[in-house]
Amino acid sequence: MLRHALARIGAAIPTLLIIVALAFFLMRLAPGGPFDSERALDPDIARNLRRIYRLDLPLIQQFWLYLQSLLRGDFGPSFHWRDFSVNELFAKALPISMQLGAEALLLGLIAGGALGIAGAASQRGIGAALVDGVALFGIVLPAFVVAPLLQLFFGLTLHALPVGGWSDGAWKNQVLPVATLALPQIAVVAGLMQAGMRDALAMPHIRTLRAFGLPAWHINAHALRAAILPVLSYLGLAAANVLTGSVVVETIFGIPGMGRYFVDGALGRDYTLVMGAVVIVAGLVVGFNLLVDLAYAWLDPRVRHE
Amino acid sequence: MNEAFRNARSFAERLSALGLGAGGGSVQISLAILALIALLCLFGPLVSSHAYDRVYRDYVLAEPSLSAHPDAAEVALAIETIARRMPARIEALRVDGDSLHATLFSDRPIDARALRAFERSDVFSAPRIVETQDGGRRMRIDAPLKRTVFLFGTDANGRDLLTRTLIAGRASLAVGLLASMVALFIGVAYGAIAGYAGGRVDAAMMRIVEIIYALPFIFFVIVLVMAFGRHFALIFIAIGAVEWLDMARIVRGQTLSIKRRDYVVAAQALGATAPAIIWRHILPNAAGPIVAYLTLLVPQVILLESFVSFLGLGVQEPLTSWGVLIADGARNIQGAAYLLVFPAIFLGATLGALQSLGAGLLRRFDAKSD
Repeated sequence: MLRHALARIGAAIPTLLIIVALAFFLMRLAPGGPFDSERALDPDIARNLRRIYRLDLPLIQQFWLYLQSLLRGDFGPSFHWRDFSVNELFAKALPISMQLGAEALLLGLIAGGALGIAGAASQRGIGAALVDGVALFGIVLPAFVVAPLLQLFFGLTLHALPVGGWSDGAWKNQVLPVATLALPQIAVVAGLMQAGMRDALAMPHIRTLRAFGLPAWHINAHALRAAILPVLSYLGLAAANVLTGSVVVETIFGIPGMGRYFVDGALGRDYTLVMGAVVIVAGLVVGFNLLVDLAYAWLDPRVRHE
Repeated sequence: MNEAFRNARSFAERLSALGLGAGGGSVQISLAILALIALLCLFGPLVSSHAYDRVYRDYVLAEPSLSAHPDAAEVALAIETIARRMPARIEALRVDGDSLHATLFSDRPIDARALRAFERSDVFSAPRIVETQDGGRRMRIDAPLKRTVFLFGTDANGRDLLTRTLIAGRASLAVGLLASMVALFIGVAYGAIAGYAGGRVDAAMMRIVEIIYALPFIFFVIVLVMAFGRHFALIFIAIGAVEWLDMARIVRGQTLSIKRRDYVVAAQALGATAPAIIWRHILPNAAGPIVAYLTLLVPQVILLESFVSFLGLGVQEPLTSWGVLIADGARNIQGAAYLLVFPAIFLGATLGALQSLGAGLLRRFDAKSD
């Protein structure tokens, strides 16, 4: 188990490194720079700016410097928000995005899991139809359609929930964004869970349990251990999807999270800001996958001894 | 990480096969829906009486309706606007049938040239002067009404939403198809090479795919769009360049299993070159799953294009795509929800139909290959 874990961690580090390098050089390949504006800058000023931000060094040297500061946990100064460092910006934005994402994932797991189990229990009944319906909705209605519709219905028509804003994480402000983010996850998890439970319930050891005359909940609990594996391995992707979805959700609901910095930073060629966002998002995705991998190995002995 | 990713992907694929498209008729139904949408988008704008970029200043944010504009209130508003510019007062106003009878009065003689304002408006055609009185200060005119129908209403610039939705459909479908072709090309080449070469080459190539999986997609697209510029033709390259990963994985898997078959071994023994074997034996035998996954890829690409356009990075005005229209609708959600609803219905129907078509195809080919 320990060897398995170490091997996985060992593989994750070069992955991260390559992602950072890829993002760094791709970003610099794009035309335009952070100090472009309507009016051309005085050449002296431009040169000084480039020297202060160390943009005049050879690219490879810049990359080396960036890696060094990353290792110190320093994302550098923001090019656009001149008075802030990227760390300061993220210190405010990251907890908000993490909270939203975690809540959406949790909701997706619980609601989707429950739906899937119910769907598997009623093979041809209402439950299965419900799962199919939810799965269809999750695919047909992308977040940028769901979010405005929710705003319209709950915010503008019912006046029950605020249309946007964060107000320091009041629960009322969180309901709609979390629901928007969770809906596609509920759809996928429900489908996976239903399929997994159906397969698991057909396995020989479950049939044996049934032959013993155990109650349904007991049988389900046993089947769940096998059925949860596909859901578990989907979690890594789910985390990435939630992070991507949060770009839209945060834009529509006006939430001061990471997603907004991502888009604004890329448009404004704010190199350090975008790089910081990429590093954090990639780190989260890779880290999450690592955790999922380890949990998988712990639940399923076949993976461990492969 | 690879284990989890591989499982997640394959299960996500299985899900799409399981979750949707139950029932035998689903493939036909989704094909019918797709054909309908494609035909509407292709020929609708040609038939439509509105150009997609024609601005109707008198009908900004007109509600969707079956009845023709203008109604009484719009006529009154339009004539008041024209009279104020002349400047003149409206003494009498009567609409009967398809024409307006109005009497205008001014302190100075009314210049007949000022009546051009009628022709420029979207409500009236060229007016006829019935008679002038008081030395030209009072003028009675007949102006025929222009009848226009906005089935889906108009947007905040007064453009017909129906035509725009169909034109947007062209862009979205075109990007969907072309970007999928780009993804297909890269993915098939990459997957076939990795699968056929096997061993270390395969391991290294698949490792690269896994690394790109972990990259946040949206960042990738944003940077590529930035690098390519916001040119319409280049958007699909950017999207195709990030969506080929699934295809590569599937083609590799297929290649791995097919290359051990007897007919491939026989071809190798006869001295056929690797490219020839891949082209003649492996790809034709992997065609079924490739087509099925291609069908599943198209909705993903359309969705990604809408997403990029929603952020304002994709298709640019006056051209439009469903993502642009939906973004527009989201901004006007309070007053004009229909701006969001109609494009969303088209997008949703297309995505749903493609998804269940792909799921249906996948099930058929899976059953065949097992």
